[in-house]
Amino acid sequence: MIDALAYSVIAVAGVAVIWGIVTAITNKPPGKAQLLYAAGVEVVTVVQSIIAIAKIIGGFRPAELATTIGYLIGIVILIPIAWLWANVERNRFSGIVLSLAALAVLAMTLRLLMLWIPAG
Amino acid sequence: MTGVQAEPTGSAGRRTNSGAGRVLIAVYGIFALAATARASVQLLTRFDEAPLAYLLSALAGLIYIVATITLARDTPASRRLALIAIIFELIGVVMVGTLSLLYPEAFPRATVWSLYGIGYGFVPLVLPILGLAWLWHTRPHAS
Repeated sequence: MIDALAYSVIAVAGVAVIWGIVTAITNKPPGKAQLLYAAGVEVVTVVQSIIAIAKIIGGFRPAELATTIGYLIGIVILIPIAWLWANVERNRFSGIVLSLAALAVLAMTLRLLMLWIPAG
Repeated sequence: MTGVQAEPTGSAGRRTNSGAGRVLIAVYGIFALAATARASVQLLTRFDEAPLAYLLSALAGLIYIVATITLARDTPASRRLALIAIIFELIGVVMVGTLSLLYPEAFPRATVWSLYGIGYGFVPLVLPILGLAWLWHTRPHAS
């Protein structure tokens, strides 16, 4: 994990969480900018997972190797699924669905920061 | 297209997979993923450490998967299955929560339901209640 990148993921995901709540409160479906932003959060998340897996292949061994790999893979599928699910029926609840996925990405990144300690 | 299919919901009931139901299903989906992934890692790498806790994690994951799919499908049959799954979920979280409180030594490793789901902000305890409320709210009206 790169701390700066992880904190960036946490920050951009946090904005996505709030954005989804705002559109839900104002009773609007997520707009195009919001959907593009969610895609952007996904890109940063994927980059983070690729770098972390590259570091593991390169020899870094986190104490909880299987759990860490599970998190690195699981974290990248949340937003795409939420995106599809949010677009089937577009209303205020679509924004909440996107918020939930972003919240999960945020929480999993925090957990990854804790998991990223060398074995031994 | 699979040809002619019956209207999913029948008569006047509301759909489980519409409106706020989509948020509920999203939460179930996240828990299905979390519990199943956690159980898989635990069962594959450290089964001997806490077999009971890990098997309960796997059971929890299975129940979340069934609830997610059945709520999303919303046919009369899937609605019944959802009800069964969510009742099991409620029993599971209350039972495992209580047992892990009374007999912590039987649960040396956490499951999603340990201490009523404290590791997940108690969402596992609230979720089945919301699920049952949602099934009630969307129940088909008897003719």
